[in-house]
Amino acid sequence: MKKYLRMKILVYVLTFIFAVTIDWLIPRLMPGNPILVLVSRFSGLPESARVIYSYLTKAFGLDEPMWKQYLNFWIAFLKGDLGISIYLYPKPVLDVLKSALPFSLGLLLPSIIASWIVGNNLGAIAARRKRLDSIMLPTMYFITGAPYLWLGILLAYYFGVVLRIFPIAGAYSFALRPHWSWLFISDYLKHWILPFLSLFIVQLGGWAIGMRNMVIYELESNYSRYLETLGVKQKLIRKYAFRNAILPQVTGLALQLGTIIAGQVTTEVVFSYPGIGYVLTQAILNQDYFLIQGCFIFIIIGVLVANFTVDLVYMLLDPRVRYSYGGEI
Amino acid sequence: MNEMLFFAFRNKKLRIGLSIVLFFVFLGLFGPLISKYKDPLEYVGTGYQPPSKEFWLGTTTFGQDVFTQLVYGIRSSFLVGLIGGGLATLIGLIIGFFAGYEGGWIDELLMMITNILLVIPTLALLIILAAYLPYRGILVESIIIGFTAWPWTARAVRAQTLSLRVREFVNLARITGRSHLKIILYEIMPNMFSYVFMVFILQFGGAILAAVGLDFIGLGPTKGISIGLMMQNAVLWNAIQLGMWWWAIPPGLVITLIVGALYFMNTGLDEVFNPRLREM
Amino acid sequence: MKKVLFVMLVVTLMSTVLFASVVYERKETLYAGGGLWAPPSNWNPITPWNAVTGTVGLIYETLYGYDPLKDELIPWLAESGRWTSKNTFEIKLRRGVTWHDGTPFTSKDVKFTYELSKQIPEISYSPIWTWLAKIDTPDDYTVIFTFSSPRYHEWNYNIYQTPIIPQHIWSKKSKEDILSGANEKAIGTGAYLFETYSDDRMVYLRNDNWWGNKVFGQPKPKRIVYLRVLSNNVALGMIMKGELDISNFFLPGVPTLKKTYSDIHTWFEKEPYMLSDNVAYLFINTTKKPLNDPNLRRAIAFAIDPSVIARTVFEGQVVPSNPVGFLPIKGWMKYYPENAAKQFGFKYDPKTARDLLDKAGYKDVNKDGYREAPDGSKFKVEIIVPFGWTDWMESIKLIASQLRQVGINAEAKFPDYSKYWEDLTTGKFDMAINNFNSQMTVSPWTMYNWVFNSNISSEMYNGNFGRYVNQKLFELITQLNSTPMDDISGCKRIVEQIAEIHLKEMPAIPLWYNGMWFQASTQVWKGWPSEKMPYAYPVTWGGRWQTGGVLMLIGLKQ
Repeated sequence: MKKYLRMKILVYVLTFIFAVTIDWLIPRLMPGNPILVLVSRFSGLPESARVIYSYLTKAFGLDEPMWKQYLNFWIAFLKGDLGISIYLYPKPVLDVLKSALPFSLGLLLPSIIASWIVGNNLGAIAARRKRLDSIMLPTMYFITGAPYLWLGILLAYYFGVVLRIFPIAGAYSFALRPHWSWLFISDYLKHWILPFLSLFIVQLGGWAIGMRNMVIYELESNYSRYLETLGVKQKLIRKYAFRNAILPQVTGLALQLGTIIAGQVTTEVVFSYPGIGYVLTQAILNQDYFLIQGCFIFIIIGVLVANFTVDLVYMLLDPRVRYSYGGEI
Repeated sequence: MNEMLFFAFRNKKLRIGLSIVLFFVFLGLFGPLISKYKDPLEYVGTGYQPPSKEFWLGTTTFGQDVFTQLVYGIRSSFLVGLIGGGLATLIGLIIGFFAGYEGGWIDELLMMITNILLVIPTLALLIILAAYLPYRGILVESIIIGFTAWPWTARAVRAQTLSLRVREFVNLARITGRSHLKIILYEIMPNMFSYVFMVFILQFGGAILAAVGLDFIGLGPTKGISIGLMMQNAVLWNAIQLGMWWWAIPPGLVITLIVGALYFMNTGLDEVFNPRLREM
Repeated sequence: MKKVLFVMLVVTLMSTVLFASVVYERKETLYAGGGLWAPPSNWNPITPWNAVTGTVGLIYETLYGYDPLKDELIPWLAESGRWTSKNTFEIKLRRGVTWHDGTPFTSKDVKFTYELSKQIPEISYSPIWTWLAKIDTPDDYTVIFTFSSPRYHEWNYNIYQTPIIPQHIWSKKSKEDILSGANEKAIGTGAYLFETYSDDRMVYLRNDNWWGNKVFGQPKPKRIVYLRVLSNNVALGMIMKGELDISNFFLPGVPTLKKTYSDIHTWFEKEPYMLSDNVAYLFINTTKKPLNDPNLRRAIAFAIDPSVIARTVFEGQVVPSNPVGFLPIKGWMKYYPENAAKQFGFKYDPKTARDLLDKAGYKDVNKDGYREAPDGSKFKVEIIVPFGWTDWMESIKLIASQLRQVGINAEAKFPDYSKYWEDLTTGKFDMAINNFNSQMTVSPWTMYNWVFNSNISSEMYNGNFGRYVNQKLFELITQLNSTPMDDISGCKRIVEQIAEIHLKEMPAIPLWYNGMWFQASTQVWKGWPSEKMPYAYPVTWGGRWQTGGVLMLIGLKQ
C-alpha cells in the first residue's frame, strides 16, 4: 500500500515537472517574438522602436540564455511568482488569472454538477422505462453530439435576438460593477443563464447515456439475474444496480472537474464571457509566454489533482489495482 | 459473423444512425457537384440574402453561397474525422496494448507519457505546431488532432488489456512461448475487435468536434473552408445580431446530426456485439 | 421568522445603499468602446502605446491639440506659440492651470518632460535631442525651444503628441518606474480624473476644476466609462440597445443596420458613413526577385481594384485611396502633388497592367496560365495579413484573384499575427497590407517618414517593410521635414518629387482609406458631430483624444 502510494506520488511529481517543462518550452520554441508584438502596438517615430525593444527584452529577462531562463522560472515559481504578463504589461500573471477564474468556475462548477445530478437521474429512470428510453436516448445522443459553441449560438439567437429576453454577451451588464446587491446578482444571473444552459444541456446528454448504459449492464449482469431467481424484489435489485453504476460516474465527475480550470473556451468566446478560456486564447494570439505558462500551470495542477484523487479512491475501493502493483503475475 | 450482420441490420439504432451519417457522406461527396457555385469563397451574389431558390441557404455578408460552403465544410469534417480519429485510435491502441500487456515499468512509463499528454491542453501542442506551420490545411489539423486525442483511448485499451491478460487463453499462449507482439495481435486484439471499432467511431466524432472548436477560436486551417470556420465567420461578422440565422445555425446543426448519429450508431453496435444488450 | 424578515430587510436596505454608490446615473455617464482591448493595467504617459486610452488627452494633456477637420493646431496647455527665429520656438503657457493635486502647472514641467528623455534615452521621444539643442524657461509661463536643426513638420506633430508630466511627481521616480511603472492614479492637468478601473472598464470622473472649462466649455458627461468590449459583435449589440454611446469599432453590418435602427448615428448619413482616418498600404518586398523590379510593382498597382473591396468587404464604409496615399484631409491635401499624380498616377486598369507586364518581359512562356519572369523563371507571390483580421483577409483574397486575372500567380495567406509581424519586420514576406502608422496627422510627412523609413536595418519595426532604399527619396523626405509648414509651395515642390519617385518605383501601393470608425447611439447623448455639424473629429482611440475626442465631449448635448 505504502509502496504503491509512494510510486504514485513520484509519478505524479514527475508528470508535473515534465508537463510544466513542456509548457514552458512550447511558447519559447515558437517562431515570432512577443516583444516585437508589444512594440508593434507603439505608434511613434521609427528611432524609438529599437530603444523600446531592447529595453523590454531585458526587462523580461529574454536576453538570458535558455537554461538560465528555465532556472529563473522554477525559482520564481517556487516563490509563487508566475511572472508578468506581456500582453497585459505590467500586470502580474497571477492577478490576471485570479480575476478571470471566478467567472470560469461560476459557470462550469454549477453546470457540471447540475448536469451530473440531473443526467444520472434521467439515465437511471430511462434504464427502467422502455418507452421513455426510446425517446430520451436518441435525444441525448444528439445533444452530446452538439458542439458547445453551436448550442450557445442557438440559445443566443433564440433567447437573445428573437425573444430578446436574455443578454448574450458579458458576465454582467456594463452599467454595473461587481458588488453584493440583489440588483447585481440578478443581473449576473441573467447573463449567466444562457452560457450555463448551453454547457448544462450538452453535458447532460453524456451523463444520462453513461448512467443508463451502466444501469442496464448491471441489471443484465449475472448477479442481478441470480438475485432475480432468488426472488429478491425488483426495487432492491435496482438499488444495487444503481449503486454499482454510480461509481464510474463519480470517476467521470472527478475527471471532469479537473478540467474545469481550462474553462470552456468556445462558450466563453461565443458569449464573450471573461473567463480563463478567453484569457488563454488572448495570451496565445499575443504570444504572451508568461500568461500562457500561467494558464497551463493552473490547468495542469487541476487535472493532476483530479486524477490523483481518482487513483486514490480506486485504490481504496478496488483491491485488485493494488495487487497488480505487487509484481506477481 | 453472419449472425452479427443479421443483428446489425435488424438493429434500429444502427440503421437510423448509419443512414444519417451516410446521408451526410453523400452530401459531402456529391453536394459540391449539385451546388450551383463551384468556389465556396467566391462572391456570387449580393450579401445578406435569406434562403431562396437561387441561394438554397442564403448568402453571407459578402454574398458567398452558404449551401456551397456547407457541403465543402461537411467534406472537410469527414476528412478530419477519418484521419484524426483514425490516427488517435491507432496510437491509443498501440500504447494501450503494450502498457496493459507488458505491465511494470513499461506500463508506468507509457502511462506517464499518456498522462502528461492528457494534462497538457491540446491547445498548447497546437500553438507550437501551428506556429511552425503558419499556413495550415485541414490535413495538418487532422494530424494534430490525431496526435493529441489518443490518451483516453490508450487508457481504456490498457484497462481492457489488463483484464484480458490474466485470462486462461492468454496464459496458455504465453506458456507456448509466442512473442508478446503475436499474443497481442492474435489473442488479445481479436477479443477486443468490437471494442476497438466502437472506440474508432467515438474518436471519429470527437475529432470532428475538436476541429470545430479549434477552427472557431482561430487555430484551425488558414485556407479552405470548414464548418468551424463558417461558424467563426458567422459570429465575427455579426450574423446572430443581424438575424442571419441561415448562416449561424445550419453549420452547427449539421455537426450535431453527424456526431449524434455516430454516437447513436455506436450504441447500436454495442447491442449487436453484446447480445445481452439487444433489444428484446 | 420575524428575525429572518428583519435580516432580509437589512440586507435589502444595505444593497440599495450599495446600489446607489456603484451604479452610475445613466444620464450623466458616457459609455464608450473601441479603444480598449485589454484589461486596463497601465496609465504611463511615457509609454503611451501601452496606456489605457484617455491617459493622454483626458488625464495628461499636450501643449497643443489638433483639429484635422479645420487643419488647426489648437493651443491647449500652451496659450500661444510662434517661431521667433528660424530655429527658436517660443511658447507662452496658460496661467491658472493646476495639476489634479493642486500644484500649479508651470514651464518647469514642460522643460522637465522633454529633458527627462535626455537623461533616459530609453524614452520614446528621446531622438528629439538630435535636433533640439536646449530649452530655456525665462519665467514660469514661457518656454523657449532652441533647435540645432529645426524639423518643422516633426515638431508640429510632436507638440500635440507629447503629454506633459508633472515634475514634482516624476522627478522622484526611479528610472525603472518611469519606464515601466503602471502609474496608477495618474495625476495630470486634464478634464478628467482617474477614478477607478476593473478588468472590463476604465472609469474617468469629470474634473470640475479643469482650467479648460472657461476656455473651451465644460465636457458634458460627468463620467466616462470606457468599456473593454470583447469583440465587435458585442459592440454592435450594445449600440443597438443603446448600452454603448459611442463605438470606435469597425462594425460589419452598419449600413444594413442603419436602415432599421434610426438612432444609430454615423458621420455621413450615406456612404461612406465614416471619415477616412488612415491609409491601408500594400507593401511589396523590394529585396525579393522579381518584386525588386519596379515595372512589375507598377503593373500590380494597375491590376488591383480597391473599389470592389470597398463595396463588398467594407459594405461601402471605406473609400479607395488616391494614387499617392494622401488622406482627404485639409492638412494633407494642401500639399497634394497634382502633377505627379496626374502624370505618373495609376488606377484600376487591367489592360494597362497587362501591357506593362508584356513590355517588361513578363510573359506566359510555358503556357501554365501564369506569367514567368523576364529570365523565364516561374514565380508566385504571397500576400499576407494576420489571421482573424477578417476584413483584411477578405480583401487580400480579392486582390489575389485580381492579380491572377492579369496573369500574376498570387495567393492570399493568413499567418497568425505574431508570424505576420515577424515576416513583415524581418523582410520575409512578398506582399502585405499594413496601416500601423499612416493615420491622419498634421502633416503627410509622418506618412512618408513611415512608408519610406530610411533607417534600414535587419528588423524594420516601423514602416518601409519592403526595405525600399533610395537615398534621393530619403533626402527629399528630410528636406520636407525641415521646410516650414506654412511654406506651402516649397513643401509642395518637394512632395511632388517624392510622389514622382513613389509612383515610378511603387514599393508600397496605397489601396483604400480605413475609416474613422464611429457609431454613436442617440438614445442618451445627442448632438454627436457629423458631416452637418463637423465640430470635432469623433475619435476615442488611445493617443488621439487631443485630436477631437475632448472637443466632442464638450459639444455633446443631452
